[in-house]
Amino acid sequence: MLKIDILNISIKSPTGENTLLKNIKFELEKNKIFTILGKNGTGKSTLIKSIMKLLDPNTYSIDGSILWNNKDINNLKYEDIIEIRSRYVKYIFQHPVNSFDHLKRLGYYFKRFTVNENEISDLLDYFFLPIKEKLFKMYPYEVSGGMAQRISLVLALLTKPKILILDEPTSGIDSAIANLMLLKLKEFVKNDEQAVLLVTQDIMFAKKISDKIALLKDFTLTEFMNTNEFFNKHLTELITEGI
Amino acid sequence: METILSIKNLFYKVKSTNFLVNKEKTIIDDITVDVDKGEIIGIAGESGSGKTTLAKLITGIITPTSGSIKLNTKEKKKCNPIQILFQNNGQILNPHRKIDDIVEEAIKLREIPSDEIANEKEKIFSAINFPEQYRKNKGFQLSGGQQQRAALARLIAVKPEILILDEPFSAQDYESLENLSALFKKINIDLGITLICISHDLNVLRELCNRVVIIYRGKIVEIGNTKEVLSNPKHPYTQYLIKSENYDLTHKELMDRAE
Repeated sequence: MLKIDILNISIKSPTGENTLLKNIKFELEKNKIFTILGKNGTGKSTLIKSIMKLLDPNTYSIDGSILWNNKDINNLKYEDIIEIRSRYVKYIFQHPVNSFDHLKRLGYYFKRFTVNENEISDLLDYFFLPIKEKLFKMYPYEVSGGMAQRISLVLALLTKPKILILDEPTSGIDSAIANLMLLKLKEFVKNDEQAVLLVTQDIMFAKKISDKIALLKDFTLTEFMNTNEFFNKHLTELITEGI
Repeated sequence: METILSIKNLFYKVKSTNFLVNKEKTIIDDITVDVDKGEIIGIAGESGSGKTTLAKLITGIITPTSGSIKLNTKEKKKCNPIQILFQNNGQILNPHRKIDDIVEEAIKLREIPSDEIANEKEKIFSAINFPEQYRKNKGFQLSGGQQQRAALARLIAVKPEILILDEPFSAQDYESLENLSALFKKINIDLGITLICISHDLNVLRELCNRVVIIYRGKIVEIGNTKEVLSNPKHPYTQYLIKSENYDLTHKELMDRAE
């Protein structure tokens, strides 16, 4: 599906380049949920942003290849990357409310999905969101952070992407909603050829949701392992290091 | 064990007028609980269950509709024997004043001889492990975690007998969680302050508190030894909270709760 081989990501500064991440190699497989665990500031968000070239090239320099269907996205035209981002690889950011234009009602974002009205209603219902007649009239600043996150997820699911990438999905939401999200994501990877990649520092969430987990520390990523295997190997380290 | 705080049949209701129809909503619904001197007691429940309202009632920020709150504390002239560490605690610090001055001012409220002030200040800073190099910093120069510690220093400077912590862990990342928990235990033992810790996070309470109170829609649904309550929950709401914390709920259980 998606093969990632990053040799180096560094941040440019007037005095030179500072390495943020190095030697990161993994491949996403279909029907699986991949989780990257790591403390604050280890570079989790930087890593997942680098996958679809979301890092500003004026600030970051990236050396490596990211293969999407055997094509390196570094060699793709800008329009093609946009196409992949809008249809195949969807992101849910840590503060999804910032993904919306505050001058547009939420209905605007659902316009492209009007064919499947029932599907929209079902998903809104599933995530305890207001009915669409009400929600579509609201502005992004009228919804809470947790709601924005759910709306973002609903929009991403409606697109039927191949890969969903989530940045700290449990931060700032209560555990019942996180629980709901967990159930939906598990359902998502069951059908077709879909996969999820998420980064988090919530150990319990990672344990319950993941098929494979890796740890990001000391500028690099450990090997992805099956969840049980991962916790057998890294549990003491996770506790003593306080993640 | 000596009781320091005794709450009996406490009610707090708010009235709202909507199209000339008077509505009454019960926020705190018949709460009765005794807090022992020197213990760490936890109050758990989801957001909106009335935890912070209860804290405000205890400190006297708001007045109950009915019921009684009795305190068994020493009478003091200027300082309230109950202090509360609010959730967004950075805001209680004046961002333009030095932490050192803020704490000193609070100590002076106790009207102790001036030659003891320096000594007392040192005691407070070391009790909360506040690094020497940050003491001359101003509020805005500190990180969220340091601000919380500074706010805590300001509160214990007036020597409260009861300290209420309102979601003290919400501003912290996982790393600081254990340190903070150890810090609260230290304050409890070294300074002999009774702690009431409000949190939605059961893991935190499990680690910190001797006893726990579970609140649901303003009512106490379960109370007892933390380990016993959390390992063998009797009330369906406690069971739900534990399951939800472990992400073990099914969609049906979530739907039922939402309705």
